[in-house]
Parts: sequence; C-alpha cells; structure tokens
Amino acid sequence: MKVDIGPVTRLEGHLSIQTTVENNVITEAVSRGEMFRGFEAFLRGRDPLDAQQITQRICGVCPYAHAIASSYAQENAYKLIVPPNGRILHNLIQGANHLYDYLLHFYQLSALDFVDVTAILKYKGTDSDLTALGDWVKAETGSKSSFPAAPFLPRLSGRYIADAQTNILALKHYIESLEIQKKANKASAIFGGKFPHATAIFPGGCTQEPDIDHIASYRSLIREVQDFIHKKYLPDILAVAGEFPEYWHIGQSRGGFLSYGLLPFGPELDSKRLFAPGVLLENNISQVNFDAIREDVKYSKYSSPSGLTVKEGELTPSPHKPGAYSWVKAPRYQGKMVEVGPAARILVDYRQNNNPKIKQLVDKFAGMAGIKADNLNSVLGRHLCRAISAVVIADFLLEETERIDIQAPFMAQYDLPESGEGFGATEASRGALLHYIRIKEYKIEKYECVVPTTWNCSPKDDRDQPGALESALVGTRVENPEEQIEANRIVHSFDPCLACAVH
Amino acid sequence: MMDRREFLKMAACLSASFGITQLPGMVYAALKKIDPAGVPRLLYLQGQSCTGCSISLLQAESPNAVSMITQYSKLSFHTDLSATSGKQALNLIEDYISGKAGEYYLAVEGSIPWDMPEACVIGDKPFADYLAAAAKTMNGAIAVGTCATHGGIPAAEGNLTGAVSLKEFYKRKEINPLLIEIPGCSVHPDWVWKTIIHLVQVGLPELINGQPKLFFSRKVHELCPRYHDFQQEIFALKLGDKGCLFKLGCLGPDTYADCPTRWWNGGQTWCIDANAPCIGCAAPSFAAKKNFPFYRSFEQTMNGTSEDNK
Repeated sequence: MKVDIGPVTRLEGHLSIQTTVENNVITEAVSRGEMFRGFEAFLRGRDPLDAQQITQRICGVCPYAHAIASSYAQENAYKLIVPPNGRILHNLIQGANHLYDYLLHFYQLSALDFVDVTAILKYKGTDSDLTALGDWVKAETGSKSSFPAAPFLPRLSGRYIADAQTNILALKHYIESLEIQKKANKASAIFGGKFPHATAIFPGGCTQEPDIDHIASYRSLIREVQDFIHKKYLPDILAVAGEFPEYWHIGQSRGGFLSYGLLPFGPELDSKRLFAPGVLLENNISQVNFDAIREDVKYSKYSSPSGLTVKEGELTPSPHKPGAYSWVKAPRYQGKMVEVGPAARILVDYRQNNNPKIKQLVDKFAGMAGIKADNLNSVLGRHLCRAISAVVIADFLLEETERIDIQAPFMAQYDLPESGEGFGATEASRGALLHYIRIKEYKIEKYECVVPTTWNCSPKDDRDQPGALESALVGTRVENPEEQIEANRIVHSFDPCLACAVH
Repeated sequence: MMDRREFLKMAACLSASFGITQLPGMVYAALKKIDPAGVPRLLYLQGQSCTGCSISLLQAESPNAVSMITQYSKLSFHTDLSATSGKQALNLIEDYISGKAGEYYLAVEGSIPWDMPEACVIGDKPFADYLAAAAKTMNGAIAVGTCATHGGIPAAEGNLTGAVSLKEFYKRKEINPLLIEIPGCSVHPDWVWKTIIHLVQVGLPELINGQPKLFFSRKVHELCPRYHDFQQEIFALKLGDKGCLFKLGCLGPDTYADCPTRWWNGGQTWCIDANAPCIGCAAPSFAAKKNFPFYRSFEQTMNGTSEDNK
C-alpha cells in the first residue's frame, strides 16, 4: 500500500514523504520538497555585498550559517586579508547559533515523538511552569474546543515514554529550553546585531566592536547555555535512548558521509578547524574536492541540464516535468549518495582523530550505550552527535573569547574587485553548507548554494540511487502504516530544513 | 486625533463586524483576566517563507512564547510546533478552514507564488487554495513578516515564481478580508504577539496603512539614538565605525519601525547598536531592486531614493 505521511510537521518548511508499505515494513520512500523560491536566479546582477544578507533569508532557522558561508565565499573572491578578531567574531556568532539550533531541534522538534504530554495531568508538585501547563491541559481537555491542547495534541499513535516522572521532567526541560535557546541567540546577536537575520556580519568580520562589555555578556550567556547542555540536554537524550534503545539501529542511511569542517582556529579559511573536513566513502576518508559535486535533476522539477558542477549550476523551474517529484535537486559526491549533518560531522572528525575531545565523548557514550561508532548513523546517533557537537562547541566558544585582542581590528578593509570567484564552505547545524560566488563587472554573475537538506532530502539521482533520508526509511517496521510515528522519528533525526534544501 | 474612548468605541464596532462574540465585554476587558473560552484560535500557515519569523516569535520575553501559545493566541496549528502530522494535521487545518472547528484568525508567514502555484504546496493542494478558502471562514488574517506584507525576498526583482504579498493575493482574488500587516524580515516577536493580545483583550488595534500604529508610526531614523550624530554630522565612513550610519546606506530614514526604542533579542541589542546600517527590512521596498544595494555610498543613496524602488 502507498501512504503519504506528509505534510511532515516539526521541521522547517514543506516536506512530504510518500511511502510504500508491505507487511508493516516500508519498502520504498519518496521525499518531496514542495516549496520553491529561486534564490540563485534573483541573486544574479546584485551587488556582491548583498549576498550575505539575502542568503540568510534562505533559512530563518540557521541564517547565521548562510551568512558565514557567504562571507567565506566573498573573502575568497575578494582575496581579503581577515584580521584574527574578525574570524573569532564569526566563530562566536556561528557557534552560539549551533547551540540554540540543537536545543530547538531536540526539545521543540523531536521530543514529542517520545515524550507523553498527557503525563502532565499527573503532576502534583509546585513548579509554576508545570502547574500552569497542567492547569491549561486540564482546562483544554475539559472544554468544547475542537482540538483541545493544540498544538501539543492531537498526536500520532504509538508508544511514548511510560514513566510519568521522566515525562514530567522532559516537559519541564521543554519549557526551560525555550528560555535557554533565547540566551544562545542573545549571545550571537551581540556581535550579529539581531537574531534571526544578522545585519552586522560581513566578509572579514563584523561591525560590532569586541569590547569587554560585549565579551562579558557573551561569556555569561554561553555559560548558562553550557550548563543546560551538560545538566539537562545530554541526560535527556540518554533518557530517551534508555527507553528506545532500538533506535540505535533504526534509520541508517545507506551511503557515505560528508563534512566541510566547522570553526577555523585561525583567520585563514584553510586553518585547522574544530571539526575536521572530509568525505567518508566506503570507510575511506579523503579530502573534500568541490569539483566532485554534481547536482542531478532527473527527478527534480527543473528543465535545466542534469549533472552540472556547482560552478556550472543552472535553475530553470519546470513544475510539470514528467517523472519529477521534488523541488530539491540531487547532489552527489563522485556520483555517490552521502549523508551530511551531525553524524557525518562527528564520524568524519572521529575517523581522522582530529579533535581528541570528540573521540573521548564518542567512545564514552558508545560504551555506555553498548554500540559502535558506526551506529551513530541512526536516529539516536544523530541526536547524540548533536549533543556531542554542543558540548565541544560551547567549550570552544569560551576559549575563543580569550583569544580576542580588544585593541586590534575586527573588520577587514574592502576594495571590491571587478571580478573574482570563491567557494565558502562550513557546517550549518544541519550539515555541509557550500556557497559559490562569481563576480563580473562588480555584480554577482553566478551564485550557487548546495545546502545540507539538499543532500539529505534529495530525490533519486540520474542513476536512480535514493537520497539519504529515502534510503534511511526503507526497511523500517511501522506499527500503524497510516500514521508511521517510526518514520516520523527517522525524518526528525535528520532535522530537515526544506527552505534550505530548495532555496 | 481620536481619543481613547472614541477609539475603543470604534474598535468595538469594527470588531463586531468581524464576528467576534461578546464584543462590548471584550473591549472593557482590557484590564481584566482573559476568558479562555472567548479567545479565538490561531491557525498559522507558511507559504514561501524561511521560518525566520516563527523562530523570532520564539524569542519573545514578556509574555514568553509558552504563554503566548497556550494562553493568549490559542495556537491551534504551527508546522514547527504541532505534535500532529500528516493526514491528521491536514484534517485539523481543513476543519478550521471549512468553518467546522470554530472561530479563528489566520496567520500567514511567507509570500504566495501567484505565477506558479505549484511552487508552494501543502498536502496535495497549492497553498493559495487554502488562503482563498479561509477568507470565507476566518475572523481575519495576520500577515507575519515582509514576505507576507510586501512579497519580500521571494518577490525580489528577477524572481521566477511571481511571489506576492497576502494583501496583493486577496486583491487579485477580489476578496477583502480583515487584514493586519506586520512587516519585518524577520518580525520582532512583540509586534506580532502584542497585536494578538490587543485583538484578544481590546479588539482590533489602530492601523496605519494596515500596520499596527503601536509599532509602526515612527521611522527608525526619527527614533534613532544616533540622531544626535546625524545632526552633528558625525558619520561612519567605513563598516565598523560608530556614528550615524547614513553614509553607509542606512535605511532608517525610510523605514517605519520602533527598533530603536524596542531593541531586539530581549533588549540585548539591535542592528544600529551593532554599527550595522538598517537595511529597511520592514519597508515595502525591502531588497526589491537589484540596482539599490543594501550598502551604498552617500552618492548612490542620493541618486536612488526609495521612491524609485517601490
């Protein structure tokens, strides 16, 4: 039987998944991105310095990642000399944005797949958040409302955590995380100007001076976030893992892994990064080559040629193209499907022994859960890799503030060239993010973005290989084929962002 | 100028025509506790959007997002927050839009692809179909963010989908619903949530050009703490300088919004405090034209006024 489980909620944007289910097992999955805007078309002919502003509007969940990727691309195109402070401020802005995004993803976008909201009705304590929530759910479920306790009910059928105390604690953290994510965003806004959509980020630095007033506020906010990560976020993931250990083995993608590396230690873009770049294909690590990326469109709604490199990218929408089922293109690395995102980021770093802290955390938690590093390619693995990323990034950000020289410049000086080109590669919270800019006669001649969810939620490529998410859904057992909470958990573990994927 | 009493009376009359029950009571309830049964639901749908406005709504301080979702707005559906999904979610949306589920306001984030309806689909239907149907049943619509109020980035020059604002969409459909427009890329959470509190507790807020006067009556430049620098001709001449940012292309003189007094992210900062020129994200002409870049020399600014760019 064919069942459409879309629109899938608790993710960014417009994603539908059509599944084929036989004997309660998904045998085929088709991932459809259903919204198109066409950034690469309307960026052409604009002023290059507009790019880090416009591309942030690709995604309001991870705008800072786009600002950073665009800034890197422009730095390469302008051959900018970036002051050390400029790079540090970029890192402070981007890193804090990762922290908010991980918390939002686990609590607001994923937790309701596991946590039983109705457990709040059993709460007898005095915590004001929980009593308010409990009173509200009681009043709602006793009212004549058509959909009481929305948006938390109704929900899909399936097994939720049974223990009331575990649920109640998780609900408390759901509420608390909403306060904590604001602190992470406040921290990045100190140097970014505001969140979402930072106005103070530029190629080569940001316009906000890193004086002690700003640094002290930033540090204090990050410390609060760090405390929550250690005392609540990590333990909550382990609690979910304890209740649903089968999800270490559910939702594996069937390809390689790609990461561009995250947070450079120095002003030069080829500096060593906190998370190392690399591509992991059939267990072999190699360096990333942007020319090995081609975007197929056999099943995408474009009539422009298939299999173009990033530099050649074209975009001619064709909404009624026969056989096409998604607005997402299908990027492939050396013709192979790869997963990007937290698991890819951690595995690529771990296999290269780049960051000892990552190795230590992976080994520790894999040991506790009784899994191998390879099992990070799973629903729980992706959640754990986000938390490991959060721990490592929070420590780094506090160290990074100590490297600021408050007397030194924090913005590069520009003399924009008539022509030039450059790639900008970083890791958004959702994975490998690549921007490419080509400038001619002082204007953008070509702008291309290959974005994390473009990889993960891609349709089949020209050789009919499925995308990472499509492959991860196949073989999954579903109790209720009409609703498929199991498939929803897999989709959520990728944290899809469809505005990013199509752009 | 009307006084407060006249305004409340007008609000009551206006609100009565939108089908809210118990109206005079609601008007005088401005300082009273909200009656949960009387709060209309909020159905939040996204068109060609980036979700930035939704994420901004989660940055609210007082009241915070949880209070807004559960107490004031009675948020019945939002893609990012709803537990429900798939067919169950579509049924919920359909029940509201068909009028079966009771009173509601429709919040719309994002633009509408007029020339290419297939460029935004929910379930098996174009987003546009939901908007047209909802116009018959909703109390009113709130356009959230510059994409919904003016087309925004998806409607920028050279776009391929013919993206339009909610107002333009309804105009072309010859429908004239109650529409409250809250621009900003993204919106400030207060602008949306406090408009909703006004709707729930007092009635329709006073609007100027469709936008709540409470937030959009003065220009950024008029309220700017660097207005003194402007008068004294203390100008920033390169990015990263302090002083008035006008000569770097600041669009504060063209943009109606209260950012200079409200600040962003819980009062932590805002663009100009971070020495970043206002890019006019709440203005009708935001990002509209290729030949009007965000960062301009003084000469460019004088040669291309915003009037040319609407």
